[in-house]
Amino acid sequence: MTWDAYIDASSAIVDLSIAEEFRPGVAGFLQLAADMAAVLEGVDLDGGQLALAAVYAPPDVRDCKDE
Amino acid sequence: MNDPTGPWASAAQIAAAVAAGDTSAVAVTEAALSRIDRENGRINAFTEVTAGRALREAEALDAARAQGQTVGPLAGVPFAVKNLFDVEGLTTRAGSRINRDRPAAGADATLVRRMNAAGAILIGTLNMGEYAYDFTGENAHDGACRNPLDSTRMSGGSSSGCGAATAAGLAPISLGSDTNGSIRVPASLCGIFSLKPTYGRLSRTGTFPFVDSLDHLGPFARSAEDLAIAYDALQGPDPTDHACATRRPEPAAPSLRIGIGGIRVGVLDGYFARNAGSVARAAVAAVADGLASFTEIRTISLDAAEAGRAAAYIITNAESAAFHLDRLRRRAADFDPDTRDRFLAGALLPAAWVTRAQRVRQWWLEQALAAFREVDLLLAPATPVPAPPSGTKMLEIGGRKLPLRPSIGLLAQPFSCIGLPVVTVPVFSEGEMPVGVQLVAAPWREGLCLRVAARLEGDGVAVANHRAPAEA
Repeated sequence: MTWDAYIDASSAIVDLSIAEEFRPGVAGFLQLAADMAAVLEGVDLDGGQLALAAVYAPPDVRDCKDE
Repeated sequence: MNDPTGPWASAAQIAAAVAAGDTSAVAVTEAALSRIDRENGRINAFTEVTAGRALREAEALDAARAQGQTVGPLAGVPFAVKNLFDVEGLTTRAGSRINRDRPAAGADATLVRRMNAAGAILIGTLNMGEYAYDFTGENAHDGACRNPLDSTRMSGGSSSGCGAATAAGLAPISLGSDTNGSIRVPASLCGIFSLKPTYGRLSRTGTFPFVDSLDHLGPFARSAEDLAIAYDALQGPDPTDHACATRRPEPAAPSLRIGIGGIRVGVLDGYFARNAGSVARAAVAAVADGLASFTEIRTISLDAAEAGRAAAYIITNAESAAFHLDRLRRRAADFDPDTRDRFLAGALLPAAWVTRAQRVRQWWLEQALAAFREVDLLLAPATPVPAPPSGTKMLEIGGRKLPLRPSIGLLAQPFSCIGLPVVTVPVFSEGEMPVGVQLVAAPWREGLCLRVAARLEGDGVAVANHRAPAEA
């Protein structure tokens, strides 16, 4: 699928019209996001874990040497 | 001691002089306002100057002192805030044109109130990249914020006005936000100190959001001591920010000079060396050399950072675009062209990418925490290069050409993605613009970062530039 076709389909679904002059820039950033998504696909995740961190509290770390 | 009304007086010096009655808060404030009037035109750091409010605050502080009341640790210290902080009576523009149609803020942001409570004097609001989606300091609506060390170069963003105003001697303390590097990048390019605390440490109430799950606030200063004093004034739980931790304040300034001998320091290579230019690598080496005689230094690879950075990119793009979706539908043409297309693309990302990014984020946090079982502190450049010339669109690192706008923060993004505390320290080398070095610690260990920064500053390894803009 080309980015033009993807923009047509997905923008209609979220009711977001993309002006003609914005399309090359949008396509470029979609490609950049796709490149990032490919990096994420390369990570060997545990198939049994689903830990989403939309808002999370970083844990305490108490085994540091100077405390 | 510097003249407490001069541009290079530290916050600690000003507060001591005001508390002792050697000068008044009004005198310090008038001098600061006069400097902004003379010098802001060259760098375009301020978008509003709150002169009337500042003088009222200063007069009240002087009157309180005259009545024998105790003044705070930042008595009479001028400070300014990125224009995404609410300031009562001003519209919170967040670097945008669209937000100027919103009503004026009815109250100050929590952190503005806490600075005031410590005696600091609000002198204005500061330029920033639109909706904080920026690393350059350029802004189509307010004009570019320029680097005070060389006005042909970028200040860095998105807290551009913070970096420029504090580096130029216009505000000893400024407050900014960091979602992917927006506190660390301007500090790096402008040659000053900054603190991005642990996610959840400082309240964000009363600030315009960018990416809720990644947004942090923090201070900029020209010394580690000033950074610590400001940080201490800002700490404390706030039930009105759902992400703000319930921890009690852990003051850093009183223990700033406690020794750091024997701590274990990891110099990050791999991803962080591959994506850094020669000046940035030399800055990290200078910091490592400065610590070598009294710490244990080792080289560490943490290449999971590349996936952490990718996760930050996807989460940022999707979450921020969803937040702005209605504005994108109605007023896309009113966005800054340099942020608009990226926001539009973010609104179209598949949910599967975003969910995987959140899973990888958790995995990356686990990798980083494993590294902190081996070392106490990590070192990495804050930016791949010193300040590029304004208008630069591409960045060349290691023989690869990358789009500059999303790439200049690629060494900062991995750490904000998992909420780690980072102090950025300025490293100047002969004939070069500065580059910041990130001192990264495990969650909630801001105090360690600040102590190492203070030691590096005391030893002359990391010292903020103290030249008037006209001399730079």
